[in-house]
Order: sequence, then structure tokens, then C-alpha cells
Amino acid sequence: MTNETDPVLGVVDLKVHFQRARSNPFLPKETVHAVDGVSFEVRRGSTFGIVGESGSGKSTTALSVTRLQHITSGKVLIDGEDITHLKGDALRAVRRRVQIIFQDPFSSLDPRRRAGAIVREPMDLLGVGEPGERDRMVSELFERVGLRPEQTALFPHQFSGGQRQRIGIARALATRPALVVCDEPVSALDVAIQAQILNLLRKLQDEFGLTYLFISHDLGVVQYVCDEIAVMYLGEIVEQGDRISLFSNPQHPYTQALLSAVPSAHRDRRKAPGRVKLLGDPPSPINLPEGCRFAGRCIYAQERCRAEPPKLRSIEDGHLVACHYAEKLEATPA
Amino acid sequence: MAEPILVVDDVQVEFKTRAGVARVLDGVSFSIEKGRTLGIVGESGCGKSMTALSIMGLIPSPPGQVVGGSIRLNGENLFEAKERRMREIRGNEISMIFQEPLTSLNPVFSCGEQIAETIRLHEGLSRKDANDKAVEMIRSVGIPNPRRRAKEYPHQMSGGMRQRLMIAMALACSPSVLIADEPTTALDVTVQAQIFDLLRELQDSFNTAIIMITHDMGAIADMADRVMVMYAGRVIEEGTVDAILDAPLHPYTQGLIDCVPHLEAETPAERPPLMEIPGVVPPLTALGKGCAFAPRCAHVHARCRGEKPRSVEYAGDHRASCFKLEAEEAAV
Repeated sequence: MTNETDPVLGVVDLKVHFQRARSNPFLPKETVHAVDGVSFEVRRGSTFGIVGESGSGKSTTALSVTRLQHITSGKVLIDGEDITHLKGDALRAVRRRVQIIFQDPFSSLDPRRRAGAIVREPMDLLGVGEPGERDRMVSELFERVGLRPEQTALFPHQFSGGQRQRIGIARALATRPALVVCDEPVSALDVAIQAQILNLLRKLQDEFGLTYLFISHDLGVVQYVCDEIAVMYLGEIVEQGDRISLFSNPQHPYTQALLSAVPSAHRDRRKAPGRVKLLGDPPSPINLPEGCRFAGRCIYAQERCRAEPPKLRSIEDGHLVACHYAEKLEATPA
Repeated sequence: MAEPILVVDDVQVEFKTRAGVARVLDGVSFSIEKGRTLGIVGESGCGKSMTALSIMGLIPSPPGQVVGGSIRLNGENLFEAKERRMREIRGNEISMIFQEPLTSLNPVFSCGEQIAETIRLHEGLSRKDANDKAVEMIRSVGIPNPRRRAKEYPHQMSGGMRQRLMIAMALACSPSVLIADEPTTALDVTVQAQIFDLLRELQDSFNTAIIMITHDMGAIADMADRVMVMYAGRVIEEGTVDAILDAPLHPYTQGLIDCVPHLEAETPAERPPLMEIPGVVPPLTALGKGCAFAPRCAHVHARCRGEKPRSVEYAGDHRASCFKLEAEEAAV
């Protein structure tokens, strides 16, 4: 049996590289380094957030954890068991324990199946509960996610966006998973609906003792939902820490720039001039720079940053940062 | 206060659908001065984009139809203008930036050609002069190597660069009014910050009036001088950005601000449940005679279901339509 203090999920030096088609027959094939050496652990019952901009590798990491993505090298451990190379029945057994909630509630539900059948399908495929019990379990799940049991007979198009996301959540919970990967679960929803879904996810976490791997680009949402957060940039984790220390005391220049780019609607809102500005676009994940991947856009970059890639190192208890000069940078401009 | 450049007065737009007639805009009125930014907020289906399309004269007809009101640009009523005149106005005096830069650019023309086309049509420049001006516009929105970039196609650009191109195209003829419909929704926050800086700079140099449509209160705080909140085709609250964000009057506006977790400078240790606005926007074909927000409102009472609240001015220049506010005002 698994120990309560063991991490539910361990990711060790995960790499996912894609081969691109040759653009020219005389050139070597190009490799996209989508995820390039990522390691982290997720504690039982907690929410681990991965933030980053498009192309940072956060969604690829999420898909690798669910084994929906080919892994180039490294390891994914669920409850201490290495699932990186599992196949067939063994992989299916793992899928009971790891489920995923997708971003788009419109394309992730089969339009020709009734809502109840969509939620029941993983139970049938993965053998959860007795077959005679399953319809009752589906009705119960519908109630837990805030839908009515009689709505099991409806088709996806008869639901609103928020309700469809509730169906997606019910489907993810159908196998009683230990780990639920939430890939941008609210970013396709209308603002007023986001709160409903975020509150629901937190309530279900308490009720079922769930562990979440939460992928998002919305820093406000991540600050509210996640206990521990990793910031990704070009396939690497550049900073990682608990929610208080990461958001109150960001150490990596990229994290600082990312946080200050978010416009605030609050009473203490900063107007734009006080911001750390980022120049240009991120470099291509094909021809990566030799040193620090962020150096080209970093206002603090030194000679050493362009030559030597910084390692992720601990600067205080549980707060990791990959920057040569992290402690020596000035505080974030107010 | 400066003379308003655009005055929208009591605009009514209806769409005929199979489910009945939907009044998508119901008495929308506002005005905007040169060099100022008006933010329009609300959920999908509240009439934000329809307001933009009616200003551009692009309401698809049929099924849509303008049934009342007027939109005046420098005093000229656009609803009475001929299509030929509207073509002169669109892209020249009023321009629009759309949400999806990839679908709004033509994939088979180079970026420079697309911008030069606008300039040729509206300013009558020769092909060569128009191309030179297009390169100049691409430079002014902060794209490096403008001459080379002008020859490239939209698919060769990143999302942020495409949005800059859209802005370059929209501003090519120095319009007096720029409508930005969710200009940064598809972009990352760091790119969004760059685009906002760019819009502010260009606004300063051309004295453009900007109408920014968004659902993001943070973007509103960053860009807007005034804010208009829409719900089910009506303006339910309007005021300065500080008044709306710091002292919202309408329960819907309060809900919109509180229902998203905002990034806080000091991470709060406690995490109380977020405030929810229950339910969804009602279908516009099935609006009753009462306040459209009543079914989702925590402060609803009998009167709200029977009649629609009028827009009432509260603190200076801050208007809202809600019976609860009227009752409180009467009690004072």
C-alpha cells in the first residue's frame, strides 16, 4: 500500500523532443526541445501548478505524465511506480489512477453520446465497480459536480460551457483517480463561469482527497489554486517554490517579468510604467542558445549567462531558482 | 471637456432567429472623445462585439437589422450613410483590430501588401509610395527588420507579431477611432504588456480614440479611462475606470470583478471560496419584461422581475441601472 507521505507523482529529468520534417534535404533534421530535463514531485492532496507562456512546454509535461505523449527520456513515477515504459494492461491500470481534465469543454466531449454514457465509459473500460452499480455511480458523480442526475440523458450540445466542463470533471473522477491533471481547465470559459469551476475543483479536492497537477497561464488563478508552483521557460523549470514564497519573493528575472506583466484590477494596481519589460520574442526551441535560455531577453544578463547554463538550485527552504545571479539582483521595481 | 468624436445614441439592433426575434442591442448610448479610451466589458453574448460591428456598419443583414438610434462620427449619422461612404470611413476614419490575428490576415498576401492595399485605397498613393509607407508602419509597431518582414507571409510570424501587424494595418491611415475587440486574448501576458504599451504610444502620437472590448478587468484597469459594462444587450453601468473598479454599483459589475482570482502583490494565506455569479447569460430571444440579470442576482426582489430599471446617475458621472440602488438612494 502507498505511504501517505510519499509523493503521488514524481517526474525525473523528463525530456520530450520532437523531430521536425527536413526543410531542406541537405540539412540535418531539426529537433524541437519541447521539454528539456524537468524534475519535480507532487505531494499527496496538494495542487502543483505549472505556469509559463505558450511554447514553454507546460502542456507537453502534463500529457507526458498521463502517458498521452511519447517520452524521449527520463522517468514518470506514480505512487513510486515507474510508468514510463508500461504497456497494455499495466498501462490501463495506471490510467485508473491518473486522469485528465481538458481545456476545451466543446471538443473534448463526444457530441454523439449522452452525458451519462460519456462519464460511464472510463468505468466500463477500466473496470471500476460492478457493472450493475455503474449507472448509480454516474448519477452520484453528476450530483457531486453540480449537475442533476436526470441530465445524464442529455447530449453535450444541450449543456452550457460551464456545465460541459462539469461533465469533463465527472468523467475524470469516474475512476477514482489519485492524480488529476488539469490542463487549463478554466481558460476556455467565460469569466463569470471560471469561479464556479475553480470553487468546484477545490471542493472535490477536499471530498475525494485528490492531488492536482494544474497547468495554467493565468497567474491570478494559479496563485489562488496552487500550493506549489513551477515556472517554465523554453522547456525548463526556471523557478519553483510554494505559493507564498514564489509570488511574494520571485527570484528569477523571468518570473519577475511575468508577474509584473499581469495588469491588476486591484485598488493597489500598478500602472504600466513601473513594470519589468520583456523585449522581443522567446528564442526558437530548435536552435537553443548555449548558456541561459533567458539571457537574450534578460535585463541583468552578464557574460557568464551567455556561456554557462544555470542549474536549478535551492536558495531557501523549498524555493529553487535557475539563475547565476538570483540573490544579487535588485528587488522587483515597485 | 473636448467635443466627442463618436456619439452612439439609443442604438437598437435585432436579429431574426428561428427561436424568435433577439434584441442584441437595446438602447446602447455612449460617446468618446479624441485621445481617450473606453473599455466595454461583459460576458460573451452581452452585445460587446455587436456594438463594435454596428459602429463599423458590419451588422450582417439579414438576419440582423438596425431598428433604431443613431451613430454620429463628427456629427455625420453613419446609419444614414451609403455603403460607398461607409467604405471610405472603414479603415480610414474608424478601424478595427480583431481577436484572432491569424484568421483576420489573408494567408496568400504578404504582410506588406495587405497594409499597402489599405493605404492605396484610402490615400490614393502610388504602389511604391504605399509600400514604403507600409514598411514605415511595420517599423512603427516595433517589428525589427521591417523591409524584410513586409515581404513575409502571416504564417511566418509569431502571434504577437501578427497582432502588431493588425495594429499597423488598422493605424495605417491614422483613424480617429480604433475599435480593439479583445486584442490580446489570444496572446501571452508579456506580449499583451508590449501590445498595450504600443497602443498607448500610438494613441499619444495620433490622438486616436480607442474603444477596447474585453472581459479582463486587469486589461481595463491598464488601458481604459472610462468603462461601460454590458449585459444582455444593455449598458447596465458606466463610469470612470476608478469608479467602476473601486466602487462598482451594479451587482453584475461587482460579480465580474470578484469572480476571477486577481494576482495579488502579497499572496494571501487564506483562500476563501470565490464569489460566483450563478447560472449563465439568458438567451436574448427569451428575455422577460424585468431586469435581464434578475435570475442570477443575489439582491433580486419582486420589482426586478416586473420592469426594467432605468439608467440613473449616482456619484458624478457614474451611471447604473438597478432598482436596489434606486431604493437605497431614495432611503437616504
